[in-house]
Amino acid sequence: MLKQISGHAKLDFPDECCGIILSDGEQDFLRQCTNIQNQLHLEDPSVYPRDARTAYQIDPKELLEICKESEAKSRPIKAFYHSHPNHHAYFSEKDKADATMWDEPLYPDASYIVIPVYGGNSEEQILGNIRVYTWDLNIGDYLESEIESSDG
Amino acid sequence: MSVIVRIPTPLRKLTQNKPEVEVSGKNIESLIDNLETNYPGIKERIYDEANNIRRFVNIYLNDEDIRFLEGKSTAVNDGDEVSIIPAIAGGILNSSQLGK
Repeated sequence: MLKQISGHAKLDFPDECCGIILSDGEQDFLRQCTNIQNQLHLEDPSVYPRDARTAYQIDPKELLEICKESEAKSRPIKAFYHSHPNHHAYFSEKDKADATMWDEPLYPDASYIVIPVYGGNSEEQILGNIRVYTWDLNIGDYLESEIESSDG
Repeated sequence: MSVIVRIPTPLRKLTQNKPEVEVSGKNIESLIDNLETNYPGIKERIYDEANNIRRFVNIYLNDEDIRFLEGKSTAVNDGDEVSIIPAIAGGILNSSQLGK
């Protein structure tokens, strides 16, 4: 799964990629999504000053279909993933704010996976260490864990 | 009009954990008002202080985003399905530096 999402991160570089991982407890199901941030930025730059290089929003129509699949096939959302082009992985204030609307995590059981991918102007992208953020009920915040990069 | 409203996971604690509820109303706005009557607290999560649907709350009538229809005035028919989908988004840097 990490290989696939890393591949997605490289493919969408220099834009942030995004997606969802569902799980039925035995198997994980990857659902790559479309980052509509460029479209939002073009339509209304005053409301959306960032483009897809520094922000992401999952296409809500894809999100709807994935939520329907999640319900219909009993595959709860295990994680959301997105990449950071030319940035190390961290859970920014914006990431946290967008994940915790209405003062609570939107999906307390889902982790947030952040994949750093560096490329600059070269054609070859290199992955950094992936970090995973999981909501901890006891401390009321996201806890970080790290996975070493597969790109040496 | 009797319509099925799909409730997103984060709002289910307001609807006794029901993932779907049947609601009456002639348009999106009246559906939300009626939802609020039966499940108090849901309206303030969907609307901001100016009574507009919050930017991060996507509402679909069947498979169409109501932003491309008539927004909260969009009429609904018997048997329609309305889905409330909070956006999944994020970005690098601090939110104070750039807009949401």
